Amino acid sequence: MSQPYVLQLAAQRTQWLSARDALIAANVANASTPGFQATDLQPFSAILDSAQVTMASTNPAHMTPGGDGFAEARVVDSDSPETTLSGNSVDVENEMMKLGEVNRDYTMATNIKRVMHQMIMSVLK
Amino acid sequence: MPDPLQATLRIAGSGLEAQSARLRVISENIANAQSTGDTPGADPYTRQTISFDSVLDRSLGVPLVRVKTIGQDDTPFKVEHDPGNPAADASGFVKMPNVDVLTELADMREANRTYEANLQVAKQSAELLGQTVNLLKDA
Repeated sequence: MSQPYVLQLAAQRTQWLSARDALIAANVANASTPGFQATDLQPFSAILDSAQVTMASTNPAHMTPGGDGFAEARVVDSDSPETTLSGNSVDVENEMMKLGEVNRDYTMATNIKRVMHQMIMSVLK
Repeated sequence: MPDPLQATLRIAGSGLEAQSARLRVISENIANAQSTGDTPGADPYTRQTISFDSVLDRSLGVPLVRVKTIGQDDTPFKVEHDPGNPAADASGFVKMPNVDVLTELADMREANRTYEANLQVAKQSAELLGQTVNLLKDA
């Protein structure tokens, strides 16, 4: 049995958010490293839009080509407004804003997971 | 690839380490802002500088930060006229360290701010991990 769509989406969302969190951490840690280019993850919506259409498998022996198309979220250079004299393009304020955004969205996704579980459990009890 | 939230903690940790090394260098500079040599005409304390470098952690696939070099600032020493000083040369001039306390204080504020930002990142990733674990609580 496959997972309900909402749970699957919430899982992908948390996966994407935690990957983005790691990139934010790398930017903040390298805020004083000369020549460091700040990076960010491709927007989640862009990944959903580009999700590959997979062929319907009419036989269990059929293999789906190229996975689910989600795992390859691309890392892009973030468009920070300024680069310092040392060639560093990290904007700490901007990173902290992104951090807050990740925090809110992650809370949202985990709460959705919780509610979905509660709904499933209410059927079973 | 390991859990990105665990990776976040490691990255923020490396950032905290780097910024505290920076604070250490700054405090050495400020503490020695008046340290002259102890023989006539000797060179005083030389201001130290610190530089960072990002290194790719192969197991995590993300750039950590580390201290690249702790170097010496080669700007010329300031010279003051103070014949009574034990480090004064024959004509009474003393070489003073090339430390500018105002620059050090500004640098300290920046190191402080970056340290706080790293701390915030570490706190947040711990919180997110906690939220995920809490999903088990009321399932």
